[in-house]
Amino acid sequence: AVLKKRLVKLVVNFLFYFRTDEAEPIGALLLEHCRITKEEENVFSISFIEEPERKYCFECDSEEQCQEWIEALKRASYEFMRRSLIFYRNEIQKMTGKDPLEQYGISEEARFQLGTRKQ
Amino acid sequence: MKLNERSLAFYATCDSPADNAGFLYKRGERHTAYHRRWFVLKGNMLFYFEERESREPVGVIVLEGCTVELCDSAEEFTFAIRFGGAKSRTYVLAAESQAAMESWVKSLSRASFDYLRLVVRELEKQLEEMRGGPAGGRGGCWQPPGSWKPKPSGPERSPERLPALPAVLPKENGCAVWNNVPGVDRSPDTSGCGGHDGEGNPRPPPLPPRRRASSSEAGSAGVAAAESPSIFCRLHERYGQEVARLRQDWLDRRRGPQ
Repeated sequence: AVLKKRLVKLVVNFLFYFRTDEAEPIGALLLEHCRITKEEENVFSISFIEEPERKYCFECDSEEQCQEWIEALKRASYEFMRRSLIFYRNEIQKMTGKDPLEQYGISEEARFQLGTRKQ
Repeated sequence: MKLNERSLAFYATCDSPADNAGFLYKRGERHTAYHRRWFVLKGNMLFYFEERESREPVGVIVLEGCTVELCDSAEEFTFAIRFGGAKSRTYVLAAESQAAMESWVKSLSRASFDYLRLVVRELEKQLEEMRGGPAGGRGGCWQPPGSWKPKPSGPERSPERLPALPAVLPKENGCAVWNNVPGVDRSPDTSGCGGHDGEGNPRPPPLPPRRRASSSEAGSAGVAAAESPSIFCRLHERYGQEVARLRQDWLDRRRGPQ
């Protein structure tokens, strides 16, 4: 496999990639239901649950950069953000007895309820 | 622009619960005829299918940087998803009842990742303020200041608009990039190990650095928040430490007979 140099941008739950001298991205990866894996030195890969053997590999300039990207990408999904919200909500509710989402008018929304969300 | 379409289709059709689903009429782009489609909202993606039973969506609208508004239209129960930017289109949809229209407008206008991130940051801030006070001893596993690497504040984050390019290059996405990798790679954290049972914290943690005053404006979703350690990550790490220890034991045992 040939390594191509790309500019990569993480925007919400999408990873865009560009040829280094172009303004429009050539592609994007939706980062839901994916796994970020550390491969060999400076390298990480993204694979998706429905096609786990297909890996999108990225080689970084340094191990530190590699770790930064892995951490950022692991937190990049909407589903991760949603779980964070549910978690915080629960913590605050335990500490104060009040639901912090009430002030936003979203406390009844099914998507923020604790418990049985499937991944 | 290439997309990992199979992954998108998987996300659309997998059995994770949808945030909203139902039939809507979608106005065509060139011809103003409406087509009835089955819509499924998951996260910040609005998928639409030709039929409810279709295996794959025929399209998707990414709900970032858009506004959702009611329409003044001859057609009943119409609303529009409008994007900024020169090349962007407006999607006109019509529901089958007043109630359905209201339900869709409400869920679509709060579907963006940006919105969710805003709420999460507010909750994070609330939690930090609660824990930073006299009850700091209950704070769990704070990282000692030496090991916490503040993110450089960098350029101001502007709200992202898809598909237009964002003005900045944010790598971290909603939570501050956490410098420490929880799990086997880390040496044991002295403030957290031993007797980790949720109630028995060994010693009061140092107070985290306060956020700058400018971050307290509602809606400033970015610069200062990027500098504070993510509370969720820390709490998650606290709960995960036992798992990390078990895993380390397991790995040690595996490596044992060498």
